Amino acid sequence: MKRRRFLQALSTAPAVPALVQQAGAQQAPATVPAPAAPGRGGRGGATGQVPHIPVGTPDDSADTVAKFFTTGQFATLKKLAGILVPPVKGNVGALDTDAPEFLDFLIGASPAETQTLYRNGLDGLNASARRKFAKAFSEIDAKQADEILKPLLVQVPWVYDLPKDPMKHFVYQVHSDLRTATRNSPEANKAAANTGRRGGGGAGLFWNPIDPV
Amino acid sequence: MPKKEYDVLIVGSGHSGGMAANILTKKGISCLMLNAGPEADYQRDRTTKAAHELPYRGFNKPGRLPHVYQANEFNANQWVDEKENPYTHDPAKPYNWVRVRLLGGRSLFWARQSFRLSDLEFKAAEIDGGGDSWPISLDDLAPFYSRVEEIFHVTGRKEGWPQFPDGNFIEQNYPPDSRTIQKVTELCKTRGIGVSKMRSSQGEGGLASSINLLLPAAVDTGKLEVVSNAIVREITVDKKTGKANGAFFIDRHSKREMHVGAKVVILAAGTLESTRLLLNSGIANSSGVLGHYLHDQIYGVSVVASVPEARDGKAKPGMMGGSAFIPRFRNLSKAKKSSFIKGYCAIIGSGGSASPNHFAAYGEELQAKLDSYQGSCVSGSIYGERTVKFENHVRVNKEVKDAWGIPVLHIDVKDTPNEFAMAKDAADTFEELFKDAGWEILSKTDKFYPPGYSIHEVGTARMGNNPKTSVLNKWCQSHDIKNLFVVDGSSFVTCGWQNPTMTILALSMRASEYLAEELRKGNV
Repeated sequence: MKRRRFLQALSTAPAVPALVQQAGAQQAPATVPAPAAPGRGGRGGATGQVPHIPVGTPDDSADTVAKFFTTGQFATLKKLAGILVPPVKGNVGALDTDAPEFLDFLIGASPAETQTLYRNGLDGLNASARRKFAKAFSEIDAKQADEILKPLLVQVPWVYDLPKDPMKHFVYQVHSDLRTATRNSPEANKAAANTGRRGGGGAGLFWNPIDPV
Repeated sequence: MPKKEYDVLIVGSGHSGGMAANILTKKGISCLMLNAGPEADYQRDRTTKAAHELPYRGFNKPGRLPHVYQANEFNANQWVDEKENPYTHDPAKPYNWVRVRLLGGRSLFWARQSFRLSDLEFKAAEIDGGGDSWPISLDDLAPFYSRVEEIFHVTGRKEGWPQFPDGNFIEQNYPPDSRTIQKVTELCKTRGIGVSKMRSSQGEGGLASSINLLLPAAVDTGKLEVVSNAIVREITVDKKTGKANGAFFIDRHSKREMHVGAKVVILAAGTLESTRLLLNSGIANSSGVLGHYLHDQIYGVSVVASVPEARDGKAKPGMMGGSAFIPRFRNLSKAKKSSFIKGYCAIIGSGGSASPNHFAAYGEELQAKLDSYQGSCVSGSIYGERTVKFENHVRVNKEVKDAWGIPVLHIDVKDTPNEFAMAKDAADTFEELFKDAGWEILSKTDKFYPPGYSIHEVGTARMGNNPKTSVLNKWCQSHDIKNLFVVDGSSFVTCGWQNPTMTILALSMRASEYLAEELRKGNV
């Protein structure tokens, strides 16, 4: 968290010790309370209101370290991100939100089947670019990318009936994932809040773990 | 010596267990309710968060809850953890078993669609031969449906159609239909298809659960005790009398094993958990059909169309919006034969937007299409009745145990050509309807989710008059053990296209009143 935000937050936090003192003044104890037993200090033993310290998320302050894809695969993913989910009409684009870095993390944590789909898909696009244009996919221009990508686009009316062709499947999946990673990013959320437009992932009711074992 | 013996032990706290506790305690009968999971604290356990604040940005943790398609990163903690509570199936025969173990069970999260079964379902054997008939009819259950509908504050429009029995509804003034819904209604009328409105439980405070509509009154009697985190492992039977006399359960946290005694045992743990418990206990199966006839409904078939006049923000007031409900309209009589038996209902929604999946486009081109089609769509989706087969069954898999050492279920279910024919009919019907309306078809799919997805699994301990072909009698009472009742969806003989909740509640109410009377007479 930025130092300025932290200090702002502290300045608005309730002055708990003062409140405790007031309460004590109104209900003066007949006897001096016994000191707290050893180990009962700190928050665990607090009897009054405890200050709320605002905390941020890692994305507020730091960058994701991409480490799953190879350098070539990641360059292809970044190129795809810029083409498939560009900034349109004031909405943030995938590259503005570090969506490729997030997907590097997400796919790295995913089942092997998903990892294979992505790795083979990225390698396949790169091979296609080299075959057609003698360049890496990350180096081709938008028109050349269209030439490779458009034949791989399909409608998917039923999300559990994905294209049998692995490259078409991959392009559908990476497009969908980039859109979600972008829409659910802090940057999209902030842009939506600033402009009042739809586009951010918004908020929802999150269920905490309930009495976990 | 047992610490205490209760009149009735109720296993499970959802709609069916809640209803049993409600009815029995009001008659002065002492009940102990055991629930496998904890009680949720709606203030403590829920927090409003933005998607970007979640660890996986709303994608959910990869590999978590592979069978729960309804799960997302916001609600993942409400579902049963599949690692703690696994089940098995052949990879070629997927089954989505969707479970909640919180106090109140799945009654906390249901969609609140509230229908009665009709005699098309109760008398299935006479109508289409697809499955057996129930030992009861709509007339037997109607008085109980009425009382359940009153408790759950059900809204609906009365139609007088035999396939869509009217109920004890709260009167509601429906706003005029949008012109797109009117168009669907007119086109359906020319095809002899009746169009109505959704029937829904309003409950109280947005919740139509056992924890707010059924259990508080039971607690107020002073006759109900509830124990949470109590995982029942086995129903115990007195060897001398052959009667159930209690249950072993395991404390969820400590894994300490306990036993509780009761004069009567009611299982209300949900269809498959109740059946698993019976199978693991090795009881109530002289018929050999315990675990068989598992069935539910097909979900997923849909058609989406766009109304050209409503594109690019040009929809005039009153053109888009609203919904309609179409109850089963196929195979209503023996005379009308189609390529399949049984039927499906449909929900029509107007005013939605197109999805990116509808277009083979990206970037600015995709955004332009999404903007153009925004708010211009009409959709049709169905819930269809799956056929009932002996072969579709569950059995105990002793090789795999849950986190408490209890053998899990192996689920063996496969769809039949009837389901595929029904799905094709539905997709073709709504495609034709929307085309006749002059609308552009954006997508059409006759695919559907694996069995179980509907969360309407029923059967596996079906009721019947013949003890050789059924597990329970018409009072949800075991043929084999007279003081053992199963009041959840296990007793169903056929499921229909309807959400089963109202029927489960009515059956539980009816069984509980029967039990109370039998207890009074000393017959149990």
